[in-house]
Amino acid sequence: MRGRKLAAVAGVLAVGAAAVLVVGSAGARSKASCGTVTLNEQAWAGSTANTYVAKAVLEGMGCKVKITQIAEIPVYQALANGKTDAVLEDWQHVDQYKQYISKQHTVVAGGPNGVVGHIGWYIPTYLMKAHPEFATWKGLKGKESLFKSPESGSQGMFLGGDPSYVQKDAQLIQALGLNFKFVSVGAEPAQVARWSQLYKQKKAVIFYWYTPQYLNTEYQLSEVKLPPRFKGCQDDAKSGGNVKQYKCAYDNTIIEKVFSKKFAGGGSPAYPVLKRFSWSNQDQEIVAKWIAGDHMNPDKAGKKWVAANKAKVNKWLGK
Amino acid sequence: MAVAGAAAQSLPSSLPAPWWRGRPGAAVLVVAGMLLSYFGWKHHWAWPAALEWNSFSPHLDRFQAWLSNNRNLPHPNIAFRIFNGFANFLDDLVSWLTRLFYYLKWSGTTALGTLVVLRFGGRKAALGTLAAFASFATLGLWDNSVQTFALMFAAVGMSLAVGMPLGVLAGRSATFNRAITPILDAMQIVPAFAYLMPVVILFSVGPGAAVVTTMIYAVPPAIRITALGIRGVAPNTVEAATALGATRWQVLSKVQLPLARRMLLLSVNQTILFALSMVVIAGLIGGTGLGDAVTNGLYTDPAFAIFAGAAIVIMAIALDRATEAMANRTDPAQRHLTAHKAHVLRAYTAACALVVVAAVVLGHVFGAGTVWSRWTAQDWLRTYVQRALDYIQNPGTFLFRNLTNPTGNFLVQHGIQPLRTFFIETPWPATFAGLVLIAFLLSGLRRAAIAAAMLFIVGLVGEWANAMDTFSQVLVATVLTVIVGLAIGVWAAESRTVSRVVRPVNDVLQTLPQLVYIIPFIYLMPVSGVPGVVASVLYASPVMIRLVQRGIEDVSPESVEAATSFGATRAQVLLKVKIPLARDAIMLGVNQAIIMVLAVVVIGGLVGSGALGYEVAQGLQRNAFGQGVIASIAILALGIALDRVTQGRGAAGARSES
Repeated sequence: MRGRKLAAVAGVLAVGAAAVLVVGSAGARSKASCGTVTLNEQAWAGSTANTYVAKAVLEGMGCKVKITQIAEIPVYQALANGKTDAVLEDWQHVDQYKQYISKQHTVVAGGPNGVVGHIGWYIPTYLMKAHPEFATWKGLKGKESLFKSPESGSQGMFLGGDPSYVQKDAQLIQALGLNFKFVSVGAEPAQVARWSQLYKQKKAVIFYWYTPQYLNTEYQLSEVKLPPRFKGCQDDAKSGGNVKQYKCAYDNTIIEKVFSKKFAGGGSPAYPVLKRFSWSNQDQEIVAKWIAGDHMNPDKAGKKWVAANKAKVNKWLGK
Repeated sequence: MAVAGAAAQSLPSSLPAPWWRGRPGAAVLVVAGMLLSYFGWKHHWAWPAALEWNSFSPHLDRFQAWLSNNRNLPHPNIAFRIFNGFANFLDDLVSWLTRLFYYLKWSGTTALGTLVVLRFGGRKAALGTLAAFASFATLGLWDNSVQTFALMFAAVGMSLAVGMPLGVLAGRSATFNRAITPILDAMQIVPAFAYLMPVVILFSVGPGAAVVTTMIYAVPPAIRITALGIRGVAPNTVEAATALGATRWQVLSKVQLPLARRMLLLSVNQTILFALSMVVIAGLIGGTGLGDAVTNGLYTDPAFAIFAGAAIVIMAIALDRATEAMANRTDPAQRHLTAHKAHVLRAYTAACALVVVAAVVLGHVFGAGTVWSRWTAQDWLRTYVQRALDYIQNPGTFLFRNLTNPTGNFLVQHGIQPLRTFFIETPWPATFAGLVLIAFLLSGLRRAAIAAAMLFIVGLVGEWANAMDTFSQVLVATVLTVIVGLAIGVWAAESRTVSRVVRPVNDVLQTLPQLVYIIPFIYLMPVSGVPGVVASVLYASPVMIRLVQRGIEDVSPESVEAATSFGATRAQVLLKVKIPLARDAIMLGVNQAIIMVLAVVVIGGLVGSGALGYEVAQGLQRNAFGQGVIASIAILALGIALDRVTQGRGAAGARSES
């Protein structure tokens, strides 16, 4: 009995397998000279915007575009193996540059993508209006208890950023002698949930935030000025050491593109185009807002921007 | 009768001495001592730097760099090429499966899935499968679902191929079983975030790496349940077969494996569910499908993340019910095939195969899409989900102002914060001694020694403060889980209606990615720590509920009848007979609940619980491999300590998995 049943199952499977083999061999190869380009999209909206605009441009040239969604650090191994061709928005992963670009030569630097990132301490604009002294960090001194929360006790609460982002706020608070308790609320969606909830209640909140970010078009936020930068001032508390070396504002972050060595050296016509790809903070925020704020289909958003910005796109295309 | 003996101990009336003379009294004394030292010397005795091994983390970082540099040479050595080959094989397997589903078109895929279940599992399960396909289509997630299914198929197949033979070995050899148990514990407790990067370096990204990561988590249940099944075969049956001259191989293939059939099928079923719970993690390293729809959705489109989460749950429940039905229907012990019946069944099989082929052919003739994309209810559903999300995100609602926000704040101010300060600031020798003493009182000398060793390891790797922070949150979550689990478990055991409602809710909570059901709580109880605790309670309660319910339902009817005939009321029967007799099951529930709570620690780190979970998450995301591993070691040590301590005296060695 059992043998026959197995045979029946095997028969069904065999038919399926044979069918797949037939299709596999008959499957037409892409005719486009540039073949398939694999772009990596990261979780935040800005990255989605870059990726889909680039996709629209490349598809216009007849390339096929595949999109992978791999986390920021593991994607370097994907670039090294050529499983992903390009990352269009990289927030200065210096350790990875050293290891994969300088040492292994498996990844190549692709130059800035035009967007300049800025990290800082932000408060809602209504709070800034009520307390103009908060324009600089010195104005916060002695008023920390305004930012009290259930978990901060008698201190004020400082909402830390996503654990995956470059940060030094716990060290800064200590170096500046502010009476804040550094509270981590986890990944970005959780952090946004927290401060937006307080924003809607018109309460006091101070938090790690950055531009460009599409939410900045939805919420009115103002930046608290931190001490000026000095030579040797550090931004990434990961390196440890004395807190004094962190006592300055965050540097502006030049957002880079990185490519797989295999892709860069492979003669794909898509490579020079992606290498020239560069746009502004405003450009990115608009597309990000279409996608994340208005829930526009990312493909549609990419094509819409490309259609409306022929001049910029032609520059990338080398025309 | 060990159960009854243990139960008698917990009955106050049968205890000769008052409670303060017994173990509870001693435990209270220990806690009082800890409190005293907290008030007397708080802040003064942090874990001493002299007892920390600080060079471990940089060693690990260097190891990772070395691995990456050698892996990415133009001509890596043979070891790396073997990993490459394995990864390529898995990549091919997954993409082959995906292409198969694409080739079958949506019509053929649906027909194949439904008819296989119909043929072997019966009508009800087949209807469920069809409904699952329909919901993937209406959610607009057909493509993602197919990709995830291909990934799961490969991961489950590989897990079983590795797990079942090892499980058979573990079932037959007690030595092997003892050797492998700590490894399995580690595979299940160490958070995937910690080993994601080495996996990626060795296997690169893509479906292959995703399958490997999933296997690390899904192989242990396959081994454990298989071993349990083999061990469960009555020894006299095996002896009888041996006496009749059967070889070892014959005993295995003709006696042990067939008799353990139900357990083997359970291990298939559990492996599927464990594998599905790794979908989101797999999405981080290129396992395409529903997983990355969840992660990316969380950042840009929470409603979409909820849809993807729903699809994962639907897939899990459909697979669970289908495998269960197929296991029952094809049980040789329960069906007796006559020649005629067999003939009919063969015709049935052929008919099903024919329908599948027809569906594929029709799909090709009429140009059906490789994936269903014609019509979906996604936009329609989105308006409702978005409306619900808007309500949840609005801090002006009655729900937020009067219920959830105050509850969250209360939990932080009167539960999590004080306990956290207590554990972090109490002098470490007092905490250390206190916890070990409590372990001794609960579980005896040997287990207390294990707990002491584990606590020392936590301090040694430099994670004492973080571990105490995490421990305090685990404690709060476990207490809440036990309260919720006892209440609902007892209720479900006493009422059929409740039981029917609770089962699907439990299924959803166990398979829905925690990141999805945590979304509402981030908005409703916005204080750090609370969403993490809520996530743990929701994840751990189902196990507690199931074990409590089963324990109470398994109480022998004779005991209940005896009590009733003495005139005991329903409440008395419950409190004096059923719950005491179900004590072992309840204790096992507590033990499992703690392990499950620990499993959510990293997710907690992503929603603001800080401490060890945050360290692990950051380890992956900021390329601090050493930090992630060390925090994971602390989580593992904490897990082992808590597990051994809560196994208690009575249940020594009788550790069952469920």
